Amino acid sequence: MSALHMKHLFGLRGIAESDIRTILDTAMDFRQVLERPVKKVPSLRGVTVVNLFFENSTRTRTSFELAEKRLSADTINFTTSNSSVKKGETLLDTLRNIEAMKIDLVVVRHKGTGVPQFLADNSRAIIVNAGDGAHEHPTQGLLDMLTIEQHLGSLKGKRVTIIGDIRHSRVARSNLWGLTTMGAEVTLCAPSTLAPRNTEFFNGVRWEQDVRKAVKEADAVIALRLQKERMEDSLLPSMREYRNFFGVTREVLEQANQSVLIMHPGPINRGVELDSEMADSEQSVILEQVTNGLAVRMAVLFLLSGGRASE
Amino acid sequence: MNKLIIKNVRPFVDGALQPKTTMHLADGRWVDEPLEDAIEIEAEGAYALPALFALGLDFQEPLRDDIYTFQNGFSAMRRGGFYGGLYESKANPIDNVQKLSAIQQIFSKSGFTFSILGAFSKRNECEQLSEMLDLNSYGVSGFGDGDHLNATTRFLRLAMEYGSMTSKRFFFLPLDFSLRHTGVVHEGDVADVLGMRGIPRVAETIVVHSILEMALFLKVPIHLKQITCAESLSLIERARARGLDVTCDVGLYHLLFDDTCLFDLDSHFYLIPPIRSPKDKEALWDGLKKGSIQAISCNHTPILRQEKEVNFEDAVPGAISLEVALPAIWSALVNGVGEKRAIDLFSENPAKIAGAEPRRLQKGEVADLVLLQPDKKQVVNPTLLAGAVRNTPLLNREMPSSIIGSYIQGIWTKV
Repeated sequence: MSALHMKHLFGLRGIAESDIRTILDTAMDFRQVLERPVKKVPSLRGVTVVNLFFENSTRTRTSFELAEKRLSADTINFTTSNSSVKKGETLLDTLRNIEAMKIDLVVVRHKGTGVPQFLADNSRAIIVNAGDGAHEHPTQGLLDMLTIEQHLGSLKGKRVTIIGDIRHSRVARSNLWGLTTMGAEVTLCAPSTLAPRNTEFFNGVRWEQDVRKAVKEADAVIALRLQKERMEDSLLPSMREYRNFFGVTREVLEQANQSVLIMHPGPINRGVELDSEMADSEQSVILEQVTNGLAVRMAVLFLLSGGRASE
Repeated sequence: MNKLIIKNVRPFVDGALQPKTTMHLADGRWVDEPLEDAIEIEAEGAYALPALFALGLDFQEPLRDDIYTFQNGFSAMRRGGFYGGLYESKANPIDNVQKLSAIQQIFSKSGFTFSILGAFSKRNECEQLSEMLDLNSYGVSGFGDGDHLNATTRFLRLAMEYGSMTSKRFFFLPLDFSLRHTGVVHEGDVADVLGMRGIPRVAETIVVHSILEMALFLKVPIHLKQITCAESLSLIERARARGLDVTCDVGLYHLLFDDTCLFDLDSHFYLIPPIRSPKDKEALWDGLKKGSIQAISCNHTPILRQEKEVNFEDAVPGAISLEVALPAIWSALVNGVGEKRAIDLFSENPAKIAGAEPRRLQKGEVADLVLLQPDKKQVVNPTLLAGAVRNTPLLNREMPSSIIGSYIQGIWTKV
């Protein structure tokens, strides 16, 4: 039924280049829809989507919900704060109860790696991963790729640097797999306590600990959000030192290409991973990432539900 | 600066003592030409050795300037023939760049070559990382535990992992605090006879093993301070064979004494780590001979007389050593490992471990040296020691050699 080579979207690792191409092209079409006075299409009329968010989320959940509404789907929001999960219900029971309501598609976010796969193994619904642990956040990776393509054309050969807490970042992983599949050159930069130690499977990726070297000649720089918990957990000494050695500042970006795109998955810790001056600069495409997020999620939901790119 | 003419002196050049000659020293260098207005010294065959580098310096200022001042420390270094040292402040851990800058400013005016160890955790508490990248960019030579390694293995990992970005060496005093508990001496025959609380070897080896495994895992260069037993040396050798960059030192007094000295119940022998058994002392000497140990450390720890002149178990552990280190051990070292290796252990290697420039004597070059009379015995009395402290186990004992004086950064200090 899916217009892609897969029924579900778990992540970007191992996904076919042609599928990424189809999603990005479809998302570009939906971007145009979003520019119209009437931003709604009937593509998912009659389709019921459950947003199953076991982790707090404002941006991603809102973005998915709006994408579903723009596609005319029926939408149900399920969050742990107001659900039976709080009363001790197991994940499987939660899923079975929801499925009994004859839903078609589940968008899920959970702190555990592999939860989307687990749901798919136990359900007939189409599963879309909206973030599982530190594993993958595929729609974020796709929206980042779309944003780069919009500004710089084909991803092939483009130099993209991702800076920050790579070890705990699902955004970094999805970007890494997606960008390399599309032929981009990816550089990762992180303090050693926030970098994966075992990188055998990170083929073709350059590692750099010096942020100035990492951004050298970069076409796009993605700064990752630094969680305050990393300090409490003794992984870093202070925000101050992080900013001084890994923060994306004007001085750091002087090493990059003049027209470098500045990106961030949000929400930003201004003055920590990204200086306000750069976040608000002309090179910043952070708000375009948000708009593209909507288009990408519309494309993913549409294609997994059987829609064709040409429709 | 002083000009100096030293007659009948045997300089140590190119790894060997040379025949008697006359050395002309001016502006801190060994020069060719005859000098006017120079101080003349008749050395009577004494040795001119490259000045020494001390591992384990802590003058305890500014928190304990009632005990000792930086000036006392500098004076002790001149008397003992040390041109520099690796400084690690335990009373006031150097865990931020403000403290580092303050101490760098004091040292920059001292005329000595100091390497400084930053603390890898805030307040040496092993709970929060210090700003190691910042400390590194301001010039620390490595990171230390303040001789108080009270870390979980997880914190040990995080500290070494974070610090690995600097490529600097980590310095540890391997001693398990829970195993030490209230121990004060080596847990062995002597402790059992005296009924004193012991510190077993395993309190050291268990930590040595953890640190070595972690360093191998994270590929971090390390230095283990004051190794006291054969079991630790064997673990270090094995880790070295597995490719780890690991150096270690042995404390001066652990080479000079064994725990039979405890029968005197003299609190000057209260050191941490403890002076161990005759068998351990023998193993340490073997380690020096085989090359398992790279350096001899001074661990110069000034302690107030009233804190030392109490019963053994209530005393504060530690000893001063700068003024007496070379004359106390030179003869034994030369007999055990030869002159070249003796200099390596006391000067060249400690400097390299601390990331400092080693000193060598060569005509035309900078000359920091110590004049040692190898066969002239000397009793250690308080006038030999700098400052108001006198906490050395060698107090009132005879040393086989004596220091005539030192010439460091162009300043002659007669002892």
